[in-house]
Amino acid sequence: MSPLQLFIEYSIVGIAAGGIYALIALGIIVIFKASHTFNFAMGEMMMLSAYFFYAASVTFALGPALGLIVAMIGSIIVALIIERVAIRPMLGRPFIAVVMVTFGIGSILRGIVGMVWGPNEVQIPSILSRSPIFLGDIFVPGKTARGFAIAVILVVALIAYLRFSRAGVALRAAAESATTAYSMGINVRNVVAFAWVIAAITGCISGVLMANINTLTPHLGLVALNVLSVVILGGLSSISGVLVAGLIIGWLEAITGLYLPTEFREITPYVLVLIVLLVRPTGLFGAKEVERI
Amino acid sequence: MLEIKNLEVVYQGVIQALADISLSVPEGKIVTLLGANGAGKTTTLKAISNFLPLEHGRVTQGSITIGGKNMIKAPPHEIVRRGVFHVREGRHVFSALTVEENLVAATFAHRGKRSRKDAYEEVYSYFPILSQRRNQHAGYLSGGEQQMLAIGRALVADPDLILLDEPSLGLAPLIVADIFEIIARINREKKVSMLLVEQNAVIALKYASYGYVLENGRTVLEGTTEDLSANEDIQKYYLGVDTEAA
Ligand SMILES: Nc1ncnc2c1ncn2[C@@H]1O[C@H](COP(=O)(O)OP(=O)(O)OP(=O)(O)O)[C@@H](O)[C@H]1O
Ligand SMILES: [Mg+2]
Repeated sequence: MSPLQLFIEYSIVGIAAGGIYALIALGIIVIFKASHTFNFAMGEMMMLSAYFFYAASVTFALGPALGLIVAMIGSIIVALIIERVAIRPMLGRPFIAVVMVTFGIGSILRGIVGMVWGPNEVQIPSILSRSPIFLGDIFVPGKTARGFAIAVILVVALIAYLRFSRAGVALRAAAESATTAYSMGINVRNVVAFAWVIAAITGCISGVLMANINTLTPHLGLVALNVLSVVILGGLSSISGVLVAGLIIGWLEAITGLYLPTEFREITPYVLVLIVLLVRPTGLFGAKEVERI
Repeated sequence: MLEIKNLEVVYQGVIQALADISLSVPEGKIVTLLGANGAGKTTTLKAISNFLPLEHGRVTQGSITIGGKNMIKAPPHEIVRRGVFHVREGRHVFSALTVEENLVAATFAHRGKRSRKDAYEEVYSYFPILSQRRNQHAGYLSGGEQQMLAIGRALVADPDLILLDEPSLGLAPLIVADIFEIIARINREKKVSMLLVEQNAVIALKYASYGYVLENGRTVLEGTTEDLSANEDIQKYYLGVDTEAA
């Protein structure tokens, strides 16, 4: 295989992974916008969703389609419980305290999954066809390509929904000022719960996709740590920035893996983030404060 | 419409901001609240719209009834939905949202039967300049346009009572005159009651029919705006008329 072909194939696989990163990042950003909380449990929410999918489709033999629906409902219920029990009482507390709580929730979820399903890999039914796709001479693994397509369609649909719907306006209004949002009759608590529901949806789909492309273990959620760089690169407050940022980080990781020892895959995204932040402290697409002087 | 009796408000458990406020706003009238900086005007409005808990404030005495119902316990978004819209001091438009999205945000308080589109069109008919700017970020509007948008959001909600906190703040006299003409039209045409807080006593006394003067968290003087305008203390301290020389 020529170096150019190799470069292109790695790029495609990387960008495809980036589509899923964008989906995960979107869940994190929506919660951040609604409540200025950074949800470090996002990865574990994904992982738990994938196990829900496993339990529904395999253990209860509901099959993949119904299994996905059940997993989605379960994920949403868990997200609403987390919001209600652990996050809402923390409203108005220091940022770092709330972040620690989400860390704790992540550990608890990982612990529970470990207890219920054990530490080893479980086999989930494939929802993505394995048959490869050829772009000219270029070989794209089938699962990767289809996973990417699903992720990107969902990301674009959610971005459009948050841009044009009233719920999206309420979310962005609450992001700018909770007090003013209240004065418009917006129930900000419901907006926060709504954000957790969106995160549950993106987490569920990305978790099941990830488990399909890689394997399902209680450590699936660690991928969310790579997504941290996506969130910061896109700009924490930018909903539409996640897509581009996700693709860039996914690509960068893959290309790093091609030319450098694998350990560097963890490093290069953050080097890029550092450089971008030095030039643009709000990230690539983060809002410049719109303000008239 | 609105009835406040012997209201006392304390911030953070110790700072008494209101000591004894009593006032009422009759159906369809504009009532003004005058007073020096720190007298407690904004706090009175926050007590009505129940924003106090968000600032660690609390009503410790007295009652607030709106349309005969005690409102002290209702959360702020509920109070808006029951028809009391607070246009806060400093306008507080959502700067990252467009003009129209700001109006959309106010539809969560919308109670009437008319469609949202009709509500926006009504705002644009009162404030044509907003129509031209509807897709611009509100943060880029001029101060006067932001005040128009803040009032426009109230219109979308179609309230029975609007609490207006210093709509003239930081605006040029010509703009202030324009805005007050429109406020008067809204009051007349839509039969909305208004409780108007103003530093600019000249204009407040011109447009309101009744007024109260606050000092250190107490209502110390009240009367029709004609009587208040003729009052010597008011002339001296609020209207800047030199009564000694006269
Ligand atoms: N959030 C708060 N916490 C503590 N004290 C407050 C708070 N808000 C207002 N106060 C105090 O309550 C008193 C009344 O303030 P308020 O804002 O109601 O005055 P105001 O009449 O609206 O003044 P201005 O004309 O300057 O707007 C002041 O002494 C003020 O310092
Ligand atoms: Mg004030």
